[in-house]
Amino acid sequence: MRCVRLNFSKSGRAVYISHLDINRMMIRALRRANLPIWYTEGFNPHPYIAFALPLSLGQSSDCEYMDIRVEGDISDDEIVSKLNSVLPEGVKIIGASEPVFDPKEIAKAQYFIKLIFSSEAATQNFSQKAEELMNSSEILAEKRGKKGHRKIMKQINLIDYIYDAKISTVSDVVNIQCVLSAGSVNNLNPALLIETLEKLTESEHDMMYIARKKLITASNQAFK
Amino acid sequence: MLSEKIQKILPLVQKPGRYVGGELNSVIKNPADVSVRYAFCFPDTYEIGMSHLGMKILYSVVNRRDDAWCERVFAPADDMEKLMRENEIPLWALESGDPIKDFDLIGFTLQYELSYTNVLNMLDLAGLPIFVADRKELTPLVVAGGPCACNAEPMADFIDVFMLGEGEESTETLVEVIKKHKMLGSDKKTLLRDLASRKGFYVPSFYEVEYNTDGTVKRVTPQENAPAKVEKTIISDMDKVYYPEKFVVPSIEIVHDRVTAEIFRGCIRGCRFCQAGFIYRPIREKSAETVDAQCKTLCETSGYDEISLCSLSTSDYTQLQPLLNSLLDWTVKDNTNIALPSLRVDNFSDELVEKLSLVRRSGLTFAPEAGTQRLRDAINKNVSEEEVLRTANKAFAGGWSAVKLYFMLGLPTETLDDVAGIAELAQKVVDEFYRNPDRPKGKGVQVSVSASSFVPKPFTPFQWEPQDTMEELEAKQKHLRESVKTKKIHISTHETPTSFLEGILARGDRKLSAVIAKAWESGCKFDSWDDQFDFDKWKQAFNECDIDPAFYANRRRSYDEVLPWDHLDYGVSKEFLIKENKKAHLNETTPHCRIKCAGCGSNRLNGGKCDAMRKA
Repeated sequence: MRCVRLNFSKSGRAVYISHLDINRMMIRALRRANLPIWYTEGFNPHPYIAFALPLSLGQSSDCEYMDIRVEGDISDDEIVSKLNSVLPEGVKIIGASEPVFDPKEIAKAQYFIKLIFSSEAATQNFSQKAEELMNSSEILAEKRGKKGHRKIMKQINLIDYIYDAKISTVSDVVNIQCVLSAGSVNNLNPALLIETLEKLTESEHDMMYIARKKLITASNQAFK
Repeated sequence: MLSEKIQKILPLVQKPGRYVGGELNSVIKNPADVSVRYAFCFPDTYEIGMSHLGMKILYSVVNRRDDAWCERVFAPADDMEKLMRENEIPLWALESGDPIKDFDLIGFTLQYELSYTNVLNMLDLAGLPIFVADRKELTPLVVAGGPCACNAEPMADFIDVFMLGEGEESTETLVEVIKKHKMLGSDKKTLLRDLASRKGFYVPSFYEVEYNTDGTVKRVTPQENAPAKVEKTIISDMDKVYYPEKFVVPSIEIVHDRVTAEIFRGCIRGCRFCQAGFIYRPIREKSAETVDAQCKTLCETSGYDEISLCSLSTSDYTQLQPLLNSLLDWTVKDNTNIALPSLRVDNFSDELVEKLSLVRRSGLTFAPEAGTQRLRDAINKNVSEEEVLRTANKAFAGGWSAVKLYFMLGLPTETLDDVAGIAELAQKVVDEFYRNPDRPKGKGVQVSVSASSFVPKPFTPFQWEPQDTMEELEAKQKHLRESVKTKKIHISTHETPTSFLEGILARGDRKLSAVIAKAWESGCKFDSWDDQFDFDKWKQAFNECDIDPAFYANRRRSYDEVLPWDHLDYGVSKEFLIKENKKAHLNETTPHCRIKCAGCGSNRLNGGKCDAMRKA
């Protein structure tokens, strides 16, 4: 038995499939592909499958990672091609390799965000004020958190979670490239960042696209 | 594929996966390559509609043709509907994202009466007039099928054509006929006349209904050369009929998320309350080889890890043992579970228990339907108390500690003693558990009793019977709860206003179209959802239309009354149903079709053939 880390992308209509549903979809895909998958032992055997970092509903990504365990003689390339032939629209395996990092080592993620506003004036208003806010020392936001088993709202300073951010505009479009805290300890959902910036700049987008581009470890290496 | 307008509202709704399509095995075609575009609509949410086998079959029947493209449409939930209306986005089909008002065919499946307002709402969301009279163009043609089409009269003002019976062949006919008339540039009436001349197509606007002064139907007169009686269509050979090789596999979780394998159509039992048991006659079986091969293909193309064998009474399948043997040959090593719903207590064998234990354990449900032998005889359930207890014992010995029992309240001739009998029977099942030396150790027993409310349906021996009033049903529910003495028995019942409305619509006539329209206008939809059902609005709609709902639900009909569905022919003869009704009132049973042919008449539509005489 060996562990294989699959890198896959999620785009198009597939961005509306939740993390839990992706899990079920992948298990079925593994069955359809007829791969020599290792099943967990016990009363209710199922394929072993583990994801690096969940992705929010509605966001696309090129850097999703899923670990599977295979038994027997099969090459990584064969796994990739067999899986790709049975996956639905919008989910694609990009590569397979031996895992290097533990998913716990993930500390940051890079995102490309595209916001479309109704006018150029609205675009300018947002980008200028957002730029100022990102260069300030405090952007306060409410985040859902847990205290023991209770769910609470806690106030956080988003600046503590932003490593890097570049804003540029083209006519009515704002492009934001940013690196945010990610992982199981400190995670900032880019949707929360945008929501907060829009609240503070009193703007509202027409369309928003968020794409996760890269997962980065605490030691600043690309996750793989 | 999805327009920007749709993409913009998707992040704002719950479960956007319901609305985007793109699932595995969904079919994408180039609109320019096809002559007919068909929107198959299920008037409920995605999760419910996607669980429906009929839709999977007909979707594939159309899509394997090169000249047609079938797409799926479901009723949007409240949050989505609101955004669609605010942003003026007409109802779209999942595959292409295109508005369905531009399609050639809009087909609804009518699985339950309480989905009728959703049909109106979906037509309206599509941007189409809800009334037949206001849709004058050739296309889109609005058709409807499914079990409720057997008394479609309450929907007669909204649906252009009803399709009676099994749809595999008639759907192809429909596609071909519409293709022809599009090419010819026919008007709508010409198209309807053509369809009405074919078996299984019922065009309600071609039938004039006259009423007596007491509100009952006086006569139904066909026009435009339409037949006096419209026969349902029937598939003769279940081994030859098309069955999909692929199911669309939903990306989000749905109600029944698994391979469904149909093993036979029809039923040999003749339970007098059961509409499905009569309208799907005669019984026609698929061979075990066919079912096994279809299951295997479907598991391979879907990746599902569960197969559900589908029929009205699984254990009546003559080839159940050979089928399970060949299925278990490969399912066990593939970690695939087999679910056997609709088991009967009178032929639940040890061998079956043993087979079921080989796969993952699911719940066990049995349906005695009534609490006393007298009432079980009156409804022709043909199940004895000993059989119920023996089966429970087998299940307990096989490791089960929870069983579910289905009953109905409000059956014809039912008394409070029969109601108390339900609690007594459940108690006996509890007692059997503790008396059984092989019961699962260290576990208590849990008996769940589900007592739904009986609704008399067309084409059953009880089609003449009055439905219990809501007050009567509530009194019986109370009596049942009070008759239970232990916490090991859990009782669940249905809301009575919902059953009342179902009863009205099930045996309604065309006068109810106005009520349905009014109820929908006042905001009624998703009536089968307890949290959305608004009985006051329905009551008001009946008031405003000056229609007494009790006339439909709670009135006893005489045998010689013209029933609103008498011009539809589902095979089973009225004489047979009358005979069965009379026997019910004498508590007399009728043996099932394999013991003795009861002469129901349904084989007439199948060239005289019926599989009930096939030896087990």
